[in-house]
Amino acid sequence: MNPIFEEIKDAIVEGDEDLAIELAEKVVAEGIDPVQAVQLGFIKGIEEVGAAWTSGEAFLPDVMMAADAMKAGMDVLEEVLAAGEGDGAYEDKGKIVLGTVEGDIHDIGKNIVGALLTSAGFKVYDIGIDQKAEDFVAKADEVGARIIAASSLLTTTMKSQKVLVEYLDAQKLRDKYKVIIGGGPTSAKWGEDIGADGWAETADEAVELCKKLLG
Amino acid sequence: MLPKFDVLTDEQINKIHKNSLKILQEIGVEFSYDPAIEVFKKHGQRVEGHRVFLDPDFVENMVEKAPAQFTLHARNPEHNLVCGGENVIYMPGYGAPFVYDADGGKRDATMADYDNFVKLAGASKNMHMTGGTVVEPTDVEDEIRHLKMAYSHIINSDKCFMGSSSGYEHAMDSIKLTAVLHGGMDVIKEKPALICLVNSVTPLKYDDRMLGGLMAYAETGQPMVIASLVMAGSTGPATMAGALSLQNAEVLAGITLTQCINPGTPVVYGSTSAVTDMSTGSLSIGNPENALFTSASAQFSRFYGVPCRGGGGLTDAKTVDAQAGYESMMVLFAASTTGVNFVLHTAGILQYYMAMSYEKFMVDDEIAGMVLRYLKGFDTDSDEKMAYDVIEAVGPGGHFLTQKHTRKNFKTEFFRPALSDRQSFDGWSKDSLDTNQRAKLKWQEVLANYTPPELDPAIKEKVEAFIEKRSKELLK
Repeated sequence: MNPIFEEIKDAIVEGDEDLAIELAEKVVAEGIDPVQAVQLGFIKGIEEVGAAWTSGEAFLPDVMMAADAMKAGMDVLEEVLAAGEGDGAYEDKGKIVLGTVEGDIHDIGKNIVGALLTSAGFKVYDIGIDQKAEDFVAKADEVGARIIAASSLLTTTMKSQKVLVEYLDAQKLRDKYKVIIGGGPTSAKWGEDIGADGWAETADEAVELCKKLLG
Repeated sequence: MLPKFDVLTDEQINKIHKNSLKILQEIGVEFSYDPAIEVFKKHGQRVEGHRVFLDPDFVENMVEKAPAQFTLHARNPEHNLVCGGENVIYMPGYGAPFVYDADGGKRDATMADYDNFVKLAGASKNMHMTGGTVVEPTDVEDEIRHLKMAYSHIINSDKCFMGSSSGYEHAMDSIKLTAVLHGGMDVIKEKPALICLVNSVTPLKYDDRMLGGLMAYAETGQPMVIASLVMAGSTGPATMAGALSLQNAEVLAGITLTQCINPGTPVVYGSTSAVTDMSTGSLSIGNPENALFTSASAQFSRFYGVPCRGGGGLTDAKTVDAQAGYESMMVLFAASTTGVNFVLHTAGILQYYMAMSYEKFMVDDEIAGMVLRYLKGFDTDSDEKMAYDVIEAVGPGGHFLTQKHTRKNFKTEFFRPALSDRQSFDGWSKDSLDTNQRAKLKWQEVLANYTPPELDPAIKEKVEAFIEKRSKELLK
């Protein structure tokens, strides 16, 4: 086994974004099998962090920095992976578009959810804060996501989650995507009221929810 | 009143103050609201897009203009409150969208809950005002929620209350409504009667909604709390000194803006900074770090010469259990003994501001009573209080239970619990009720026996007419 795979794994576990990029660039430059780099390096690393998280040994900065390092490295490999280089194929567990709804600029909870989903093997497209329904849907359409996840921290912006579901209905796209919501003032009941496909109170529960919806 | 103790040395205060000023000057603060940007430009501050870089001398000069204390006027002048100095003002929790029941149930808060909490605060001798947004009444339309909430405070109690800061228009509605109650805008400009809560969005931002509210209160000379909630570890640095520097920078930026708009506008330095639970990312408020941030904020308020808001009956517990009790006592005690003047969230909060609980309200009311008694300290002013004569009269080996001196003094010297159980085991075991169960019986009893103080029918009519007119316009 090429020793670089172990180095990549360690870079992810350490949450070292710069090193992850540097190693990914080396993979491309030296024509190393990118699928193996993903499976034996990046995925191994994030799985190790994920396991430590589950057992309570890792904390949020560990997981979030590992997810950032993974994303940065994978971005470098994206081109060669898309070109079908390497043996076998790499597939994520599902694509998820994630964002904070219109009128709301809070993003910590959303970022935590994104990191945990990444560490669980999902490919997360984070579109950021204060995003309109059409922005969520446009991104989901572009990347072929199956889940749209919308966050809101304020009682005054929760209604934008409802607007998102209504927008999908109006565009006749409701069946194409699973919509999940979360955020401080939201509840299971609110999720049901607006016709979302799921609600989660914590980031861990959001991961379970996505596994269930895509399972 | 007891002397307030410090948690920072003068040297530490200076170091953090300088750090905050450097943040304001070199990193800057983002104000998303254009009218606020115009104000800073007019005052010669460097602006790039929506980011404002504040000159340290300018900040110090502006903060200097804010008054050290002010009086907040109630419709019943007996309930007027001086905010600042040695005073401490208690009120219910603010902004929770849920109500947790005694049996562990969770539900959306409603307008009926709102009225109930206002009444409980009105009935309490430990709550000095009825607060604001005592829950989020989710069954009332957003557009008119601020009017319904204000009405609840006006008719259910004659104590001071808080108004909306949710954008310029809603803020102005609450101010005008309060003016109707007090006899005109001129009257409340002279005698401020409404206070609101303006929060930064940490790190280093203020949003449109809050800035609109800030400008409405500043323009009309109504007081406001300018508060920052740094979640150390997530929205702020994981070090206490770093998080405090960040909080301090944000609050100073907000206070500076208020004084630019209307020099001398009463403001309260606010802090709700606490830590992030690093396993879940949740805010965590029932802890020694929060108590330290609160006490440090009180000290910074003294340093800047403005009143302070912070602390409360704060907990991360989901039900009224031992955790709810010990966490709440710690934070309320720290706030009250180190000089916080305005204690939002004194009573009712569970799970880091997410929920209100009737039972928790009663527990916190009890804690508040205990702390208020503690703050009174020892009275050594008279021979009566020194009690030499009665000690002499009883002499060695006697007892004091049948002395006139005892009967006269115990009621004012001793705190009398309303909720705590001091019975013998046998007495207690007749019903074996724990605190949660006793609290449930207690709030039901208080609500059943509460009669709101009467409001002059002519004024009531004007208040209702104002609300009806605005509701029609807003729901159009």
